[in-house]
Amino acid sequence: MTDTTVMDEPGALRRYARMLWADKFALCAAIFLLVVLLMALFGPALIGDLATKQNLRGRNAPPFDLSRGWVWVMGADALGRPLLARIIVAAQNTVLIAAGAVLGSAIIGTTLGLVAGYAGRRTGEVIMRLADIIMSFPSLLLAVVVLYILGPSVANLVIVLAITRIPVYLRTTRAEVLEIRERMFVQAAQVMGAPSRRILFRHILPVVVPTLVTIATLDFAFVMLAESSLSFLGIGIQPPEITWGLMIAQGKQYLANAWWLSFWPGLAIILTTLSLNLLSNWLRIALDPVQRWRLEMRGRKND
Amino acid sequence: MGKRILAWGAAAILAGLSTTAAMPARAAGTDIRIVLPEDVDLLEPCMATRSNIGRVIFQNVNETLTEYQARDDGGDLQPRLAETWEQQPDGSWRFHLRQGVTFSDGSAFDAGDVKHSFDRAMSDQISCETPRYFGGMTVEAVVVDDHTIDFRADPAQPILPLLLSMVTIVPAETPVEFVRDPVGTGPYAVSEWTPGQRIVLTRREGCWGAEPQVTSATYVVRPDPAVRAAMVQTGEADLAPSISLIDATNPATDFPYLDPETVYLRLMHDVAPINDVRVRKALNMAIDREAFIGTLLPEGAQLAVALFPPTTAGSNPAVQVPAYDPEGARQLLAEAKADGVPVDTEIRLIARTAQYPNVTEVMEAMQQMLTEAGFNVKLQFYEVAEHESFYTKPYPKDQGPYMLAAMHDNSRGDPAFTMYFKYDSEGLQSGMADPKANDLIARASAATGDERVRLWQELVAYLHDEVVADVLLFHMVGYARVAERLDFRPSIATNGQLQLSQIGFH
Amino acid sequence: MLTFLRKRAVGSLISLIGLVVLVFFLSRLTGDPTALFLPVDATVEMREQFRALHGLNDPLLVQFGHYVRDLLHLDFGDSLRKARPAIEVVTEAFAWTLQLALITMSIVTILAIIIGALAAWRGGLFDRVASILSLIGASAPDFWVAIVGIVIFSVSLGWLPTSGTGTVWHWILPVAVLFIRPFGLIVQVVRGAMMTALSSAYVKTARAKGVRARPIIFVHALRNAMLPVITVIGDQAAALLNGAVVIETIFGFPGVGKLMIDSILQRDFNVVMAAIMVTALAIFLMNVLIDIAYALLDPRIRH
Repeated sequence: MTDTTVMDEPGALRRYARMLWADKFALCAAIFLLVVLLMALFGPALIGDLATKQNLRGRNAPPFDLSRGWVWVMGADALGRPLLARIIVAAQNTVLIAAGAVLGSAIIGTTLGLVAGYAGRRTGEVIMRLADIIMSFPSLLLAVVVLYILGPSVANLVIVLAITRIPVYLRTTRAEVLEIRERMFVQAAQVMGAPSRRILFRHILPVVVPTLVTIATLDFAFVMLAESSLSFLGIGIQPPEITWGLMIAQGKQYLANAWWLSFWPGLAIILTTLSLNLLSNWLRIALDPVQRWRLEMRGRKND
Repeated sequence: MGKRILAWGAAAILAGLSTTAAMPARAAGTDIRIVLPEDVDLLEPCMATRSNIGRVIFQNVNETLTEYQARDDGGDLQPRLAETWEQQPDGSWRFHLRQGVTFSDGSAFDAGDVKHSFDRAMSDQISCETPRYFGGMTVEAVVVDDHTIDFRADPAQPILPLLLSMVTIVPAETPVEFVRDPVGTGPYAVSEWTPGQRIVLTRREGCWGAEPQVTSATYVVRPDPAVRAAMVQTGEADLAPSISLIDATNPATDFPYLDPETVYLRLMHDVAPINDVRVRKALNMAIDREAFIGTLLPEGAQLAVALFPPTTAGSNPAVQVPAYDPEGARQLLAEAKADGVPVDTEIRLIARTAQYPNVTEVMEAMQQMLTEAGFNVKLQFYEVAEHESFYTKPYPKDQGPYMLAAMHDNSRGDPAFTMYFKYDSEGLQSGMADPKANDLIARASAATGDERVRLWQELVAYLHDEVVADVLLFHMVGYARVAERLDFRPSIATNGQLQLSQIGFH
Repeated sequence: MLTFLRKRAVGSLISLIGLVVLVFFLSRLTGDPTALFLPVDATVEMREQFRALHGLNDPLLVQFGHYVRDLLHLDFGDSLRKARPAIEVVTEAFAWTLQLALITMSIVTILAIIIGALAAWRGGLFDRVASILSLIGASAPDFWVAIVGIVIFSVSLGWLPTSGTGTVWHWILPVAVLFIRPFGLIVQVVRGAMMTALSSAYVKTARAKGVRARPIIFVHALRNAMLPVITVIGDQAAALLNGAVVIETIFGFPGVGKLMIDSILQRDFNVVMAAIMVTALAIFLMNVLIDIAYALLDPRIRH
């Protein structure tokens, strides 16, 4: 595998920008994610009050009514709070929890998987059996245990979600490592006396990463939805705090009569996942010297 | 679009598995299907006072000596397996039993069955629900002859006939362990129980009383309220005793009924700032109760001034719901603050997730109202076990000030089922200790007739107006969806029982 | 092969024992079922009697001793709530879950591999449409799909029963809803792995050689891409074996997921333990099958 030191070349940024411009889907995805990030950073500070002010008379106000101002364009929830404002404010907690849980589980899972695949037979066996245990330990029980022992908090919520998602990264990484370490270039590096850590991180990891990223982007959606099902235990996010998952759960009972309550936050999750996936697909091609020409060709044609 | 492909793909593959596939037969004739919200764990007669079990077997399979007929306009005690009863000079009660009654296993009903049923239900070898109604007394059943039985209570119980409306009768041969095939004297018998799927009750031939119209009833469980409503709409079920307010959109099939559940905030009187009566008053004044009715809660929900429904003898019509007065609440808080009461302390509002529909929104709205009146309130939701640990003594220590959003069900016809538990200093869910309240509870529990009603009324007024014991909120309303072919109207009793004999056809 | 199986059996047994010990003690930390079983106004005597009757007053180690002793006689104890053998309750429910998981995963595996591989092979519009649709499916809240499905196919069209079990028609909606998330995820993983396999030098050369070689290359690339795919299939199957709570709740499907949740919330410990042992056994078995599949696909990994 070739190293991706192109980043340091002069004009690399321009080159990537051009490659992004070449893929319009990825461009939209990047813009959308940027908006989500801005919402998460500044949303609560800017319109926090707007999102929590209740108005029982305006409950379940339908969407697309602009007469009351732009925040009402998505309608109002069961307590008459504008949905658009709530989605913007909820982005912070949502992104924080999802990113924390997905990154946590991906990093721990991948590391353990690398070790399990590359270290000795015995270490690998122990790690894999540990993964078996986690896989069959019900996440709800884990959540209840954490709730009783450590108490409710957002950090504990992230821990519970992260632990339950470790096995898929672990098993995927290990499976690939078992195969890759038999390949020629790894064998060659070993013969030349490269240290194990270098082989793992410079040679093996880059081959595994694309699959892991695919799983991780979809895990974002999963974690955003699963998080709300733990809120009902009293662990993690509590009303009046909000996340997209919690908004969906609260709007569930209104699905037949006021669909917008759970539709918009659901759409936010779908679009975020879609964007992450499109961007990661683009990134995979952009970072892969073998495939990069596809984007560069298109970029030039557009010039 | 993706979904349609999936559905078709799945349909094609599954259809290949079976050639005898057919739509489920729609209920017709006098067989009915009932869709319940909660799984039925047990079909044990002595647990029939639990609503999920009671809706299936209470008075359908297993009957009681007396029957409290709760109605929306009050209620009274009617004979069932006992035809008459009277209090003896020594304070014990004598019951004259109905003759010619048989159990579904063919054996005849007599006083020995009653004694066994009572002893079994009170036994320490199984955990029946029954002993809860007989706390603080010893009761002995004495067989006089085959059709007469005495109940001797110490201390004497003025409401013993009412208490016996909670004791279901089983044959004397029933073992003292939980049974799975309840045998009773009722008009129906359990003919099939496939756990997790269905329970079928079939009408018995030749049992006592008028023959009911329903020949058989099939019970299924669907936890999702929207699905229950849809099942009656599509004809897959005839009756859903509990659907969501949001789905109750068809006036021809959806009927509200007063639910015996009363919602309130239990206060702990021993922690500042709630130990100050002005703060408790302010809490009551800060909540705009009217604003919830017809918005987050159904139109028919009533504002509560006591923890039992207004139809119960002992409710006090003179007691008024506190007026919504955030300004006054703020003033009271300022006064208390001037006297050194730490009114700025954070007070936790502890609620239970999924306790009733919309509980999240109701609590969020309440939190905002309290905040606007100057309280520092933090909302906290817990699952049932954690919530329970706050609800019942021994309470967790050093929790700071908190209010517990709780629900209490008393459709049993007397305040005695409420007052001791919730307000006596020894009561397991009581947050207060007040000698005068203790005294009133003791005297009212022992009194009879008008005196009893008067004492309960005095207690209600004292707790509500002087002690300001808690923040009483609403008597709830439930909705049932009834297929148009059924002649049935839900009532306050529908929460805990569903007598098939009361269902007719159009 | 036999040595491998024997080693795995020993390893899995140790994991199972670890799981049992872990769950036994952790679940007991989450409180006592007394208050949950008895009515709220139960007297102090009733509570004491209940504890004595079910041995809840004994020290934890004594309770554990009794449990292990019974377990060695294959007695899993009685369910507190249902007053019948816990293992009976669990196997009844697990039979449904197993059927649901098997049917769903077979359909998912076949369709996802075909569509994912074709997306990578053909690229272009087919790729875009397949990717985006599967991503939307994978990140949409499952109860949306379930309730909208009921409203359309049962209430409006009257084609399918709303819920329950009994005929083949009852299975269509639950399977269709369960299908969506694993399908979306696996399509993505297959697509990604195929892209990598197809961009490797030898495939490109072979592809350039002519039309006749294409099917062979396709199959060959697919075989190379299968390692991560199998892992993810296993992960999704494990999730289904742990029960599909939303499906079970909405469709009144008597599976193990809702049983597990109810038992955890009601502290019906014997059922929790039995359920975890049964599902863990199934998951361990599946992981063994996956490891065998690795070895079959890539002889170099064979231990």
